[in-house]
Amino acid sequence: MKNMIRLLRAELSWSQAELAQQLGVSRQTVNALEVGKYDPSLPLAFRIAHIFNKPIEAIFLNGEQATVQEVELEEKHTA
Amino acid sequence: MEKAAKEYTVQFSSAMVGYVLVLFASTYIIKADPDAWWRVPLAVAPVVPAFFALLSFIRYLGRMDELQRQIQLEAIAFGAGATAILSFGYGFLENVGFPDISLIFVLPLLVALWGLGACIASRKYS
Repeated sequence: MKNMIRLLRAELSWSQAELAQQLGVSRQTVNALEVGKYDPSLPLAFRIAHIFNKPIEAIFLNGEQATVQEVELEEKHTA
Repeated sequence: MEKAAKEYTVQFSSAMVGYVLVLFASTYIIKADPDAWWRVPLAVAPVVPAFFALLSFIRYLGRMDELQRQIQLEAIAFGAGATAILSFGYGFLENVGFPDISLIFVLPLLVALWGLGACIASRKYS
């Protein structure tokens, strides 16, 4: 599932290892989440949302919603 | 999680050292008196530290993060399935003259295929 984890992490200037430590998971898990190869369990999704202070739906995206929100966040990030 | 990995390493290594020591001791004692009544319990004694090694892994499995646990479960499924197919197939070959292979080699085969399964599963998520 597409998600905004990498972009949100970059906004906070955190490394994958730092985010992994915050979430209590391995760096491998953070990487797998960011590249969309692994979807988190509900408790982990809630922890991610809490860390980034955003609703789950704003972090994990589906289909068309993914494209629109990705573009918006990329534009905001590069501005 | 690092603490869990360290504890697992210590517990598993200790069990493996125990396994080697018990194996050598039991082999030596049985050879010294092959007809003694205690040759049977001594012969299976190495299974005890092996059981503790397995227990340490099961404990570690419960403390892994969710992706690592998923990878290990996929790896074990692959290892068990592949071992079952290979040993089952080889059983038929033994019927047509292939050399008999002791059951003691099943566990090392399972562990090797489990390791291979872990590599495959890990790559799937990277």
